[in-house]
Amino acid sequence: MITNYFAGKKIILTLIVLLLSSSLSANDTVDRAKLKSTMRNMLKSMELIQRGGFYANPQQMKAGVSSLKRYLALLDAKHAKTYLPNDEKYAYKFAVKREKMITMYADDIIESLTTNNMDDALEDYSQILKQCSSCHLRIRK
Amino acid sequence: MQRRDFFKLVGGVSLVAIAPSLIEGELRAEDGTLFKAYNKVQLIDAQGNPLLASKLTKEENYVFNYPHVGTSCMLLALPGITEKNVKLFSEDGEEYIFKGGVGKNANIVAYSAICPHQLTHINKNDAFISYTKIGETTMACKQESVIVCGSHLSAYDPHKGCKVIAGPAPQPLANIVLEHHDDDTLWAVAVLGPDKFHDFFKSFKPELKEQYGGKRKAKKLVSDVATTVALVDFTKDIIKY
Repeated sequence: MITNYFAGKKIILTLIVLLLSSSLSANDTVDRAKLKSTMRNMLKSMELIQRGGFYANPQQMKAGVSSLKRYLALLDAKHAKTYLPNDEKYAYKFAVKREKMITMYADDIIESLTTNNMDDALEDYSQILKQCSSCHLRIRK
Repeated sequence: MQRRDFFKLVGGVSLVAIAPSLIEGELRAEDGTLFKAYNKVQLIDAQGNPLLASKLTKEENYVFNYPHVGTSCMLLALPGITEKNVKLFSEDGEEYIFKGGVGKNANIVAYSAICPHQLTHINKNDAFISYTKIGETTMACKQESVIVCGSHLSAYDPHKGCKVIAGPAPQPLANIVLEHHDDDTLWAVAVLGPDKFHDFFKSFKPELKEQYGGKRKAKKLVSDVATTVALVDFTKDIIKY
Protein backbone atom coordinates (compact mmCIF):
# COMPACT_ATOMS: atom_id res chain seq x y z
CA MET A 1 0.00 0.00 0.00
CA ILE A 2 2.74 2.42 1.08
CA THR A 3 4.90 1.39 -1.89
CA ASN A 4 2.01 2.11 -4.27
CA TYR A 5 1.48 5.49 -2.62
CA PHE A 6 5.14 6.51 -3.21
CA ALA A 7 5.11 5.12 -6.75
CA GLY A 8 2.02 7.23 -7.48
CA LYS A 9 3.72 10.32 -6.09
CA LYS A 10 6.80 9.64 -8.21
CA ILE A 11 4.66 9.41 -11.35
CA ILE A 12 2.86 12.66 -10.51
CA LEU A 13 6.17 14.43 -9.83
CA THR A 14 7.68 13.13 -13.07
CA LEU A 15 4.60 14.30 -14.97
CA ILE A 16 4.83 17.76 -13.40
CA VAL A 17 8.53 18.02 -14.29
CA LEU A 18 7.83 16.86 -17.85
CA LEU A 19 4.97 19.31 -18.25
CA LEU A 20 7.02 22.19 -16.88
CA SER A 21 10.05 21.42 -19.04
CA SER A 22 7.95 21.01 -22.20
CA SER A 23 6.15 24.26 -21.50
CA LEU A 24 9.49 26.00 -20.90
CA SER A 25 10.88 24.50 -24.08
CA ALA A 26 7.76 25.61 -25.96
CA ASN A 27 8.24 29.12 -24.57
CA ASP A 28 11.87 29.01 -25.61
CA THR A 29 10.90 27.92 -29.13
CA VAL A 30 8.39 30.77 -29.35
CA ASP A 31 11.03 33.22 -28.08
CA ARG A 32 13.64 31.97 -30.57
CA ALA A 33 11.15 32.24 -33.46
CA LYS A 34 10.17 35.73 -32.33
CA LEU A 35 13.81 36.74 -32.05
CA LYS A 36 14.59 35.43 -35.56
CA SER A 37 11.64 37.33 -36.99
CA THR A 38 12.67 40.55 -35.18
CA MET A 39 16.24 40.20 -36.44
CA ARG A 40 15.02 39.65 -40.03
CA ASN A 41 12.87 42.78 -39.76
CA MET A 42 15.78 44.77 -38.39
CA LEU A 43 17.83 43.66 -41.37
CA LYS A 44 15.04 44.81 -43.71
CA SER A 45 15.00 48.18 -41.91
CA MET A 46 18.74 48.50 -42.44
CA GLU A 47 18.28 47.73 -46.13
CA LEU A 48 15.69 50.47 -46.31
CA ILE A 49 18.08 53.00 -44.73
CA GLN A 50 20.83 51.91 -47.11
CA ARG A 51 18.59 52.20 -50.18
CA GLY A 52 17.52 55.65 -49.02
CA GLY A 53 21.18 56.59 -48.74
CA PHE A 54 22.07 55.23 -52.16
CA TYR A 55 19.27 57.14 -53.88
CA ALA A 56 19.59 60.26 -51.69
CA ASN A 57 16.08 59.72 -50.43
CA PRO A 58 15.82 61.11 -46.86
CA GLN A 59 12.20 59.98 -46.48
CA GLN A 60 13.13 56.37 -47.16
CA MET A 61 16.00 56.63 -44.69
CA LYS A 62 13.67 58.04 -42.05
CA ALA A 63 11.19 55.24 -42.68
CA GLY A 64 14.02 52.74 -42.23
CA VAL A 65 15.06 54.36 -38.95
CA SER A 66 11.52 54.33 -37.66
CA SER A 67 11.12 50.65 -38.56
CA LEU A 68 14.50 49.78 -37.05
CA LYS A 69 13.63 51.45 -33.75
CA ARG A 70 10.24 49.74 -33.66
CA TYR A 71 11.80 46.27 -33.97
CA LEU A 72 14.68 47.15 -31.68
CA ALA A 73 12.15 48.00 -28.98
CA LEU A 74 10.78 44.46 -29.28
CA LEU A 75 14.12 43.09 -28.14
CA ASP A 76 13.44 44.78 -24.83
CA ALA A 77 16.80 45.78 -23.47
CA LYS A 78 15.71 45.13 -19.89
CA HIS A 79 15.26 41.45 -20.63
CA ALA A 80 18.25 40.80 -22.85
CA LYS A 81 18.95 37.65 -20.87
CA THR A 82 15.79 36.05 -22.21
CA TYR A 83 16.84 36.15 -25.84
CA LEU A 84 20.54 35.44 -25.54
CA PRO A 85 21.76 31.86 -26.02
CA ASN A 86 22.35 30.10 -22.69
CA ASP A 87 26.13 30.18 -22.97
CA GLU A 88 26.08 33.91 -23.75
CA LYS A 89 23.57 35.12 -21.16
CA TYR A 90 26.41 36.41 -18.99
CA ALA A 91 27.18 38.96 -21.75
CA TYR A 92 23.77 40.65 -21.60
CA LYS A 93 25.28 44.04 -20.72
CA PHE A 94 27.32 43.88 -23.89
CA ALA A 95 24.15 43.19 -25.93
CA VAL A 96 22.26 45.99 -24.15
CA LYS A 97 25.10 48.39 -24.93
CA ARG A 98 24.84 47.52 -28.65
CA GLU A 99 21.10 48.23 -28.52
CA LYS A 100 21.70 51.60 -26.89
CA MET A 101 24.34 52.49 -29.47
CA ILE A 102 22.04 51.52 -32.35
CA THR A 103 19.30 53.75 -30.90
CA MET A 104 21.78 56.61 -30.49
CA TYR A 105 23.01 56.40 -34.10
CA ALA A 106 19.47 55.92 -35.41
CA ASP A 107 18.41 59.14 -33.66
CA ASP A 108 21.46 60.86 -35.09
CA ILE A 109 20.47 59.82 -38.63
CA ILE A 110 17.22 61.77 -38.18
CA GLU A 111 19.10 64.75 -36.76
CA SER A 112 21.62 64.66 -39.62
CA LEU A 113 18.85 64.45 -42.22
CA THR A 114 17.05 67.38 -40.59
CA THR A 115 20.15 69.48 -41.26
CA ASN A 116 20.55 67.96 -44.75
CA ASN A 117 23.81 66.34 -43.75
CA MET A 118 23.67 63.15 -45.81
CA ASP A 119 27.35 62.36 -45.14
CA ASP A 120 26.77 62.27 -41.40
CA ALA A 121 23.61 60.22 -41.85
CA LEU A 122 25.52 57.64 -43.89
CA GLU A 123 28.29 57.60 -41.29
CA ASP A 124 25.63 56.88 -38.64
CA TYR A 125 24.30 54.06 -40.82
CA SER A 126 27.76 52.49 -41.06
CA GLN A 127 28.13 52.80 -37.28
CA ILE A 128 24.84 50.95 -36.78
CA LEU A 129 26.14 48.23 -39.08
CA LYS A 130 29.26 48.01 -36.91
CA GLN A 131 27.12 47.57 -33.78
CA CYS A 132 25.22 44.73 -35.47
CA SER A 133 28.39 42.96 -36.58
CA SER A 134 30.02 43.57 -33.19
CA CYS A 135 27.17 41.75 -31.44
CA HIS A 136 27.05 38.94 -34.00
CA LEU A 137 30.81 38.51 -33.72
CA ARG A 138 30.58 38.08 -29.97
CA ILE A 139 27.16 36.52 -29.35
CA ARG A 140 25.90 34.80 -32.47
CA LYS A 141 29.21 33.49 -33.95
CA MET B 1 70.92 88.42 -37.92
CA GLN B 2 70.53 90.76 -34.96
CA ARG B 3 72.19 89.70 -31.72
CA ARG B 4 68.74 89.55 -30.00
CA ASP B 5 67.32 87.23 -32.70
CA PHE B 6 70.36 85.03 -32.45
CA PHE B 7 69.91 84.60 -28.68
CA LYS B 8 66.19 83.88 -29.19
CA LEU B 9 67.02 81.11 -31.67
CA VAL B 10 69.72 79.58 -29.46
CA GLY B 11 67.41 79.80 -26.44
CA GLY B 12 64.57 78.06 -28.27
CA VAL B 13 66.76 75.24 -29.55
CA SER B 14 68.27 74.71 -26.08
CA LEU B 15 64.82 74.55 -24.46
CA VAL B 16 63.72 71.82 -26.83
CA ALA B 17 66.98 69.95 -26.28
CA ILE B 18 66.46 70.07 -22.49
CA ALA B 19 62.76 69.16 -22.53
CA PRO B 20 61.67 67.00 -25.46
CA SER B 21 58.05 67.41 -24.38
CA LEU B 22 58.20 70.93 -25.78
CA ILE B 23 58.31 69.49 -29.29
CA GLU B 24 54.82 69.38 -30.70
CA GLY B 25 54.05 67.19 -33.67
CA GLU B 26 54.66 63.72 -34.90
CA LEU B 27 58.06 62.12 -35.02
CA ARG B 28 58.82 58.90 -36.81
CA ALA B 29 62.42 58.38 -35.91
CA GLU B 30 64.65 55.86 -37.63
CA ASP B 31 65.16 54.03 -34.36
CA GLY B 32 61.58 52.85 -34.59
CA THR B 33 59.69 55.27 -32.40
CA LEU B 34 56.23 56.45 -33.29
CA PHE B 35 55.82 59.43 -31.06
CA LYS B 36 53.51 62.42 -30.93
CA ALA B 37 54.06 65.14 -28.36
CA TYR B 38 51.05 67.02 -26.98
CA ASN B 39 50.65 69.62 -24.25
CA LYS B 40 52.59 68.85 -21.12
CA VAL B 41 49.87 68.27 -18.55
CA GLN B 42 50.15 67.71 -14.81
CA LEU B 43 48.03 64.96 -13.29
CA ILE B 44 46.00 66.22 -10.35
CA ASP B 45 43.48 64.56 -8.04
CA ALA B 46 39.77 65.38 -7.77
CA GLN B 47 40.53 68.08 -5.17
CA GLY B 48 42.97 69.81 -7.50
CA ASN B 49 46.10 68.69 -5.66
CA PRO B 50 49.07 67.31 -7.59
CA LEU B 51 48.85 63.56 -7.95
CA LEU B 52 51.93 62.02 -6.33
CA ALA B 53 53.42 58.84 -7.72
CA SER B 54 54.19 57.44 -4.28
CA LYS B 55 50.56 57.90 -3.18
CA LEU B 56 49.04 55.84 -5.98
CA THR B 57 47.31 52.67 -4.87
CA LYS B 58 48.87 49.68 -6.57
CA GLU B 59 46.60 48.09 -9.18
CA GLU B 60 43.91 50.76 -8.81
CA ASN B 61 42.55 51.61 -12.25
CA TYR B 62 42.82 55.42 -12.44
CA VAL B 63 41.42 57.46 -15.33
CA PHE B 64 42.32 60.83 -16.78
CA ASN B 65 41.52 62.44 -20.11
CA TYR B 66 44.45 63.11 -22.45
CA PRO B 67 45.52 64.38 -24.94
CA HIS B 68 41.99 65.43 -25.91
CA VAL B 69 39.24 66.51 -23.53
CA GLY B 70 37.16 63.52 -24.67
CA THR B 71 39.78 60.74 -24.83
CA SER B 72 40.16 58.72 -21.65
CA CYS B 73 43.34 57.06 -20.51
CA MET B 74 44.15 54.53 -17.83
CA LEU B 75 46.83 55.19 -15.23
CA LEU B 76 48.19 52.22 -13.29
CA ALA B 77 50.75 51.55 -10.62
CA LEU B 78 51.51 47.97 -11.57
CA PRO B 79 52.36 45.33 -9.00
CA GLY B 80 55.70 44.58 -10.66
CA ILE B 81 58.26 46.51 -12.65
CA THR B 82 57.69 47.01 -16.34
CA GLU B 83 59.85 45.59 -19.08
CA LYS B 84 62.18 48.06 -20.75
CA ASN B 85 62.71 48.63 -24.48
CA VAL B 86 59.90 46.40 -25.66
CA LYS B 87 59.67 46.23 -29.44
CA LEU B 88 56.06 46.72 -30.54
CA PHE B 89 54.32 46.96 -33.89
CA SER B 90 51.44 48.99 -35.17
CA GLU B 91 48.70 47.48 -37.33
CA ASP B 92 50.63 48.54 -40.45
CA GLY B 93 53.83 46.93 -39.26
CA GLU B 94 55.49 50.10 -38.04
CA GLU B 95 57.87 49.42 -35.19
CA TYR B 96 58.17 51.44 -32.00
CA ILE B 97 59.84 50.97 -28.65
CA PHE B 98 58.14 51.05 -25.25
CA LYS B 99 60.72 52.40 -22.82
CA GLY B 100 59.12 51.15 -19.57
CA GLY B 101 57.23 52.64 -16.67
CA VAL B 102 58.11 55.65 -14.55
CA GLY B 103 58.34 56.24 -10.81
CA LYS B 104 60.73 54.97 -8.15
CA ASN B 105 59.84 51.38 -9.02
CA ALA B 106 59.40 51.94 -12.76
CA ASN B 107 55.89 50.52 -12.41
CA ILE B 108 53.69 53.50 -13.29
CA VAL B 109 52.20 53.43 -16.78
CA ALA B 110 49.38 55.06 -18.70
CA TYR B 111 47.56 53.90 -21.81
CA SER B 112 44.84 55.20 -24.04
CA ALA B 113 41.55 53.54 -23.09
CA ILE B 114 40.44 53.08 -26.71
CA CYS B 115 40.63 49.48 -27.91
CA PRO B 116 42.05 49.44 -31.45
CA HIS B 117 39.80 46.55 -32.48
CA GLN B 118 36.37 48.19 -32.51
CA LEU B 119 37.08 51.34 -30.48
CA THR B 120 35.54 50.17 -27.21
CA HIS B 121 36.48 52.81 -24.67
CA ILE B 122 35.90 54.11 -21.19
CA ASN B 123 33.16 56.71 -20.94
CA LYS B 124 31.04 58.22 -18.21
CA ASN B 125 28.27 55.62 -18.59
CA ASP B 126 30.26 52.42 -18.76
CA ALA B 127 33.69 50.86 -19.04
CA PHE B 128 34.00 47.67 -21.04
CA ILE B 129 37.78 48.01 -21.03
CA SER B 130 39.74 48.03 -17.78
CA TYR B 131 42.60 46.58 -15.77
CA THR B 132 42.20 43.13 -14.24
CA LYS B 133 44.04 42.78 -10.96
CA ILE B 134 46.17 39.88 -9.76
CA GLY B 135 43.78 37.23 -8.46
CA GLU B 136 40.93 38.33 -10.74
CA THR B 137 40.04 36.01 -13.57
CA THR B 138 39.11 36.95 -17.10
CA MET B 139 37.69 34.99 -20.03
CA ALA B 140 40.22 36.63 -22.31
CA CYS B 141 43.36 34.90 -21.07
CA LYS B 142 44.95 33.02 -18.19
CA GLN B 143 47.51 35.73 -17.44
CA GLU B 144 46.81 38.05 -14.52
CA SER B 145 47.49 41.77 -14.21
CA VAL B 146 46.29 42.54 -17.72
CA ILE B 147 44.06 45.07 -19.43
CA VAL B 148 41.03 43.39 -20.98
CA CYS B 149 38.55 44.72 -23.50
CA GLY B 150 35.32 42.98 -22.59
CA SER B 151 33.68 43.62 -25.95
CA HIS B 152 35.57 40.98 -27.93
CA LEU B 153 37.99 39.78 -25.25
CA SER B 154 41.26 41.29 -26.36
CA ALA B 155 43.89 41.31 -23.64
CA TYR B 156 46.95 43.51 -23.31
CA ASP B 157 50.02 43.27 -21.11
CA PRO B 158 50.53 46.67 -19.45
CA HIS B 159 54.01 45.60 -18.25
CA LYS B 160 55.11 45.32 -21.88
CA GLY B 161 53.68 48.47 -23.46
CA CYS B 162 50.26 46.87 -23.78
CA LYS B 163 51.37 44.22 -26.21
CA VAL B 164 48.39 42.17 -27.40
CA ILE B 165 48.37 38.79 -25.68
CA ALA B 166 44.90 37.57 -26.66
CA GLY B 167 41.91 38.36 -28.80
CA PRO B 168 41.33 40.12 -32.10
CA ALA B 169 43.04 43.48 -31.36
CA PRO B 170 45.39 44.29 -34.26
CA GLN B 171 47.85 46.41 -32.27
CA PRO B 172 48.72 47.51 -28.72
CA LEU B 173 46.91 50.26 -26.83
CA ALA B 174 48.65 53.58 -27.39
CA ASN B 175 51.04 54.42 -24.57
CA ILE B 176 50.71 57.78 -22.82
CA VAL B 177 54.24 58.99 -22.14
CA LEU B 178 54.63 60.12 -18.54
CA GLU B 179 57.25 62.15 -16.77
CA HIS B 180 57.95 61.67 -13.08
CA HIS B 181 59.52 64.74 -11.53
CA ASP B 182 61.78 65.04 -8.49
CA ASP B 183 58.88 66.40 -6.43
CA ASP B 184 57.02 63.10 -7.10
CA THR B 185 54.50 64.72 -9.46
CA LEU B 186 53.33 63.02 -12.64
CA TRP B 187 52.96 64.64 -16.05
CA ALA B 188 51.55 63.40 -19.33
CA VAL B 189 53.58 64.65 -22.25
CA ALA B 190 53.02 62.56 -25.37
CA VAL B 191 51.50 59.54 -27.04
CA LEU B 192 53.71 56.66 -28.12
CA GLY B 193 52.48 54.14 -30.65
CA PRO B 194 49.54 54.25 -33.02
CA ASP B 195 46.49 55.95 -31.57
CA LYS B 196 42.87 55.69 -32.65
CA PHE B 197 41.82 59.25 -31.85
CA HIS B 198 40.82 60.13 -35.41
CA ASP B 199 38.57 57.07 -35.79
CA PHE B 200 37.21 57.61 -32.30
CA PHE B 201 36.07 61.17 -32.99
CA LYS B 202 34.59 60.10 -36.32
CA SER B 203 32.66 57.20 -34.81
CA PHE B 204 31.22 58.53 -31.57
CA LYS B 205 29.78 61.89 -32.53
CA PRO B 206 26.41 61.37 -30.76
CA GLU B 207 28.06 60.06 -27.61
CA LEU B 208 30.54 62.94 -27.52
CA LYS B 209 27.64 65.35 -27.86
CA GLU B 210 25.91 63.73 -24.89
CA GLN B 211 29.00 63.57 -22.68
CA TYR B 212 31.11 66.58 -23.69
CA GLY B 213 28.68 68.89 -25.45
CA GLY B 214 29.89 68.06 -28.96
CA LYS B 215 32.72 66.64 -31.00
CA ARG B 216 34.56 69.95 -31.23
CA LYS B 217 34.61 70.39 -27.46
CA ALA B 218 35.70 66.78 -26.94
CA LYS B 219 38.48 67.20 -29.48
CA LYS B 220 40.06 70.17 -27.71
CA LEU B 221 43.50 69.44 -26.37
CA VAL B 222 43.87 69.19 -22.62
CA SER B 223 46.15 71.87 -21.25
CA ASP B 224 47.88 72.47 -17.92
CA VAL B 225 46.19 69.83 -15.76
CA ALA B 226 44.25 66.57 -16.06
CA THR B 227 42.03 65.43 -13.22
CA THR B 228 42.75 61.83 -12.35
CA VAL B 229 40.21 59.69 -10.51
CA ALA B 230 39.60 56.03 -9.82
CA LEU B 231 37.63 54.29 -12.56
CA VAL B 232 34.79 53.57 -10.13
CA ASP B 233 34.36 57.32 -9.64
CA PHE B 234 34.60 58.08 -13.35
CA THR B 235 32.05 55.70 -14.78
CA LYS B 236 28.66 54.32 -13.70
CA ASP B 237 29.25 50.70 -14.64
CA ILE B 238 32.43 48.62 -14.99
CA ILE B 239 31.81 45.52 -17.06
CA LYS B 240 34.36 42.72 -16.91
CA TYR B 241 34.31 39.31 -18.59
